[in-house]
Amino acid sequence: MKNSNRDSEALLPLTPAVFHILLALADSERHGYGIMQEIAARAGSSVRMGPGTLYGSIKRMLADGLIEASGERPDPALDDERRRYYRLTDFGRRVLTAEAQRLEQVVRVAQSKHVLHNPEMIGGTP
Amino acid sequence: MTMKPGRTMWMLSASVRCYRMLLLSYPPEFRAVFAQEMTQTFRDCCRQAMVEQGSQGLSRLWGLTLYDLVITSAMERARTLMASVKQLFGVTATSIVTTEGSMLMFNLTIAQQTDIGRTRQSNEDNMLAYVPEDAQVLARKGALFVVTDGLGGHTSGEIASEMAARMTRDSYYQEADEDIATSLQRAIKQANRAIVERASQNDAWSGMGTTVVAAVLRDDTVYAANVGDSRVYIVRDDNIRQITEDHSWVVQQIRAGQLTPEEARSHPKRNIIYRCLGEDKDVEVDLFSEQVQDGDVLVLCTDGLTGLVNDDELCAIVRQYQPEESVHRLIERANENGGPDNITAIVVRVALEKAPA
Repeated sequence: MKNSNRDSEALLPLTPAVFHILLALADSERHGYGIMQEIAARAGSSVRMGPGTLYGSIKRMLADGLIEASGERPDPALDDERRRYYRLTDFGRRVLTAEAQRLEQVVRVAQSKHVLHNPEMIGGTP
Repeated sequence: MTMKPGRTMWMLSASVRCYRMLLLSYPPEFRAVFAQEMTQTFRDCCRQAMVEQGSQGLSRLWGLTLYDLVITSAMERARTLMASVKQLFGVTATSIVTTEGSMLMFNLTIAQQTDIGRTRQSNEDNMLAYVPEDAQVLARKGALFVVTDGLGGHTSGEIASEMAARMTRDSYYQEADEDIATSLQRAIKQANRAIVERASQNDAWSGMGTTVVAAVLRDDTVYAANVGDSRVYIVRDDNIRQITEDHSWVVQQIRAGQLTPEEARSHPKRNIIYRCLGEDKDVEVDLFSEQVQDGDVLVLCTDGLTGLVNDDELCAIVRQYQPEESVHRLIERANENGGPDNITAIVVRVALEKAPA
């Protein structure tokens, strides 16, 4: 099938917004606000995303087949309003992995040039 | 920081109302899909900001949100503009279908164009041509063409016609059913239900509706479905034939013997249709099918074209020119004749041949 063979590197590098949204969805499906919360909890105030950036990215990610809507239901922690949930597609997961590997390469170069003060904390091991 | 619950509630709902108005700066197609979710998400963010930092948190959130809104709405508008520029130049797709048993080569040249016309303020027509990249999907479900003509004030007609085209395609290809006719009919009914539902959510959208005409080409057959007065024609050699039947008042009168086709063409009520999407949860969708032959040309169009370019002219143009040049000339012709309405046409030239075994 054409889709499953799509080149996961063709979309790289990802914009920060797309990368963070993919990361937020890597472990579980979430609705829009859930994605924002996850990013805020993980990246703090260094990544601030308004609804326009979030949904503009979601629109293009849906079109590129990186994510899909997985249904509508209320979030028990919020209220009884129905929310649309999003999840990664297989293609989305491969693109996320490819981007993480690309960034890892970049970090390795930074380490080799002694740009990082504390390389073992950031680089990780493959 | 503590605040009276009444005041908190007021600030929250005022913020949400304000944000909902600001969302008007995004293009209508974008709003149709995401406005509700964005409002919901913004309200969640407001709640969190108020709980954590009170009114200060709320003003900080507004700062971020406004900045984000100005930039992303400009970006979405630019993208919509780019998409319509691309549409203007048309698309050309070529595909080969291999069917089980006999090998049938299937080669389509497609061009599509929509134009605002000479007198309207906005273009409420929409169109799409979809040839699945996946050969198996193409073999099972065929290629789909849709033209829609929105009705309703402000931007609601645009929203209805965009939803009709997009949701017909999405529902049609999501279904595994290989019975093309019923699958196409169901997809249009589903699009209709979504439009009715959307119209009931917001006063500005109430009363929005749209025509739809859809055609699927699979193997050597074209399946057409319609609601309203957008049409599918098939042009073979020097003959042009309308495959679909309009759901218009003048066609009813012709059938009843009250009007001749010539009278109908210039009748003041020729624009009145008695069936459209968005009106009622249940809509009747008419189905037609035809065998296609090598060299046939399909034309899907709105009444902005057929009201101004007669069948003979239409036939002559698509006979003489390739699809890309044809759509261009058809729209030019309608505009020369006054262009009182939006004008949309998709032209598909079909080349069929038995592949060498």
